[in-house]
Amino acid sequence: MRHLAAAVAFIVLAQAAHAAKLRVVATIPELADIASRIGGDHVAVDRLARGTEDIHQVVMKPSFVSKLNRADAVIYLGLSVEHGFLPGLLDVARNPALRTDPDTLNCTGPGCIDCSVGVNVLDKQQSLSRAQGDVHPQGNPHYNLDPGNGPKIARNIMEGLARVDPARASDYEANLKAYLAEFEPKLAEWRKWVEPLKGVKAVSYHRDMAYLGGFTGLVFVDTIEVKPGVAPTPAHLARLVEGMKARGVELIVREQQYDAKTPAWLAERTGAKIAVIGTMANSSPGTETYIKLCEANLRSLLKALGKEPIK
Amino acid sequence: MLLLALLVFPAVSKAAEPSAESRIQSLEERLGKLEGAPMKTSLSAFNPAIGAALDFTATQTNGRSNFNFRAAELNLEAPIDPYLRGWMVLTGSPSGIEVEEAAVQTTALPYSLTVTGGRMFASFGRLAHFHNHELPSIERPLSLESFIGGESQADGVEVSYLLPTPFYLNATGGAYNKLGGENGRADNASARYPDSFTYLGRLVAYADVGDDHSVELGLSEAWTPKRSVADTSVAGTDFNVDGTPDTPNTSAGITTRKNTWRTLSGADLTYRWHPAEGGIYKGAVWGTEVMQNNELRFDPATNLPVDRVRSYAGYSYLQLKVGRRWRPGVMLDLTEDLASARTLTRTYTGFLTFDVTEFQRLRLAFSRTTDNRPAGLGSNTVALQWTAILGHHVHGFRDR
Repeated sequence: MRHLAAAVAFIVLAQAAHAAKLRVVATIPELADIASRIGGDHVAVDRLARGTEDIHQVVMKPSFVSKLNRADAVIYLGLSVEHGFLPGLLDVARNPALRTDPDTLNCTGPGCIDCSVGVNVLDKQQSLSRAQGDVHPQGNPHYNLDPGNGPKIARNIMEGLARVDPARASDYEANLKAYLAEFEPKLAEWRKWVEPLKGVKAVSYHRDMAYLGGFTGLVFVDTIEVKPGVAPTPAHLARLVEGMKARGVELIVREQQYDAKTPAWLAERTGAKIAVIGTMANSSPGTETYIKLCEANLRSLLKALGKEPIK
Repeated sequence: MLLLALLVFPAVSKAAEPSAESRIQSLEERLGKLEGAPMKTSLSAFNPAIGAALDFTATQTNGRSNFNFRAAELNLEAPIDPYLRGWMVLTGSPSGIEVEEAAVQTTALPYSLTVTGGRMFASFGRLAHFHNHELPSIERPLSLESFIGGESQADGVEVSYLLPTPFYLNATGGAYNKLGGENGRADNASARYPDSFTYLGRLVAYADVGDDHSVELGLSEAWTPKRSVADTSVAGTDFNVDGTPDTPNTSAGITTRKNTWRTLSGADLTYRWHPAEGGIYKGAVWGTEVMQNNELRFDPATNLPVDRVRSYAGYSYLQLKVGRRWRPGVMLDLTEDLASARTLTRTYTGFLTFDVTEFQRLRLAFSRTTDNRPAGLGSNTVALQWTAILGHHVHGFRDR
């Protein structure tokens, strides 16, 4: 009887402890990773995307609705990159702290933590038209591929958690410092690693490499897709082969979620090397955290060109 | 003293000035706000988001062909105030311009409640509340056309509750003038007593089965406690050239009104396969829905009530994703006649969807319709559909 009472008390206390945690939902795995580092024991972090999908095509599951309904905060990349699933989910999540702005398709409400705040947004369109493909009105949203944006993302998450849960703000700030103390030396190291990549011409499958190009010095001259979100056609690929040869493109960057055949076909005709990278953490084994993802991507780029990281 | 002041002053003034780092951070924040500022100008800031869907088909049925402008749907959506959002869907089609949806929905009710009011697509079943251009095949399954009356359009009010369970469980209750845009049993214009409304209950449960699979089960019941029947409308049902039931025959007979009740029950099951890897290129959806319609009918000769007619109908379809842009599928629909459950119409459909881009789609379909009437005519239809989305486009949760 005493054991039973102890067990019940333990369950009740455990539930109470869990309930006291801030419930946070992150749209993609690296945001969940950083949020769990900064939130520490104070937050229970859940994620939506698995990391292996195309972020534009994450499937809306009803189980996501339940998660968002109970969440105190949602952490997202923003710049409408989650337009395929987050607005639709927030519309039905019935969480007054998290709503969809129908114009920007961003989250609006006290629980929204937008990691793009303060990011230097690239590829902003001079004019907007669907004739340009599936472009994002606010600019290129794939800034998470630039490791240099890591501290900014982490800081935005810290500020968001502190806003939603001000009583623990000092803990979140301390955890941010600890995270940056681990991240920033890595960042400095990675900046040295990428020296051999500077000026190397490359093509990618999707137009999502502006930020990675900025960090590595790779010069992305074209994409395998005709336009963002528009699948390649034979005529486009024929032109791409000629263009790659004329410009001396050495590298084809295939984002893990896209098919391997077309880049292989291009590599065969142009002699360019293929690097496979992840656009989200957890996209392949060994990329479970943001730091691991950044490192794995840079290693893949270097390895494809037969280079070693400069220490 | 002067020397002391000279020594202290720069230190004080330095302490009062923000550091370079904080100034840069402040500038970054201001720049970030500017960069993230809404694209709209102040004059249009509160205008609703606007989108449209255009839907055209070319069909050939039993050797006769036609180009069909099916619909142009204009969609407007905006928050109304902190507590409400609203949307309108105006549809232009060969039969005219219709307000297909005009509804408001609460956004700030406690306890995970949502109230929707106005003209909406009621939450009966699954495909019934899909707009035509969002269906998996070109034509709406005959079972839904016949039992619901096309789209589940309804004027009324719906309350939805997301239960606080570890898995997704949603309950919906509604009251409407009638269910189904083309349901001729009642009209929206005339006033009625409470027992003449249609009442809906629906429960949906969902479970992830591992990372790649999911199952969704829904149960629906629409109940109309009292409805008036003109006995001329039960004398028979006209049939189209292709064998599908048309509107009830009202061309002859004495019109007397009888009171009866109706229940429409349904169960729907959806299985989805979304593989963790290669999800852009492969996947599957299997959707099945069965319905039972229970209505009292009257003998046209004697005007006396006959046995209650229970009719069944349903469809099942499988849609595969076999490439980034290709989605083939098959569908079987079985529909009993509402007035005569012994009359069964079968429709076999094969379809192939080609997603040119996210905003443009081509679809080819072949369907064979037969029924078991002795003089029943079978029909073969080949159709090509071209659908395009203009402007604002949100992936809705209900139409996924």
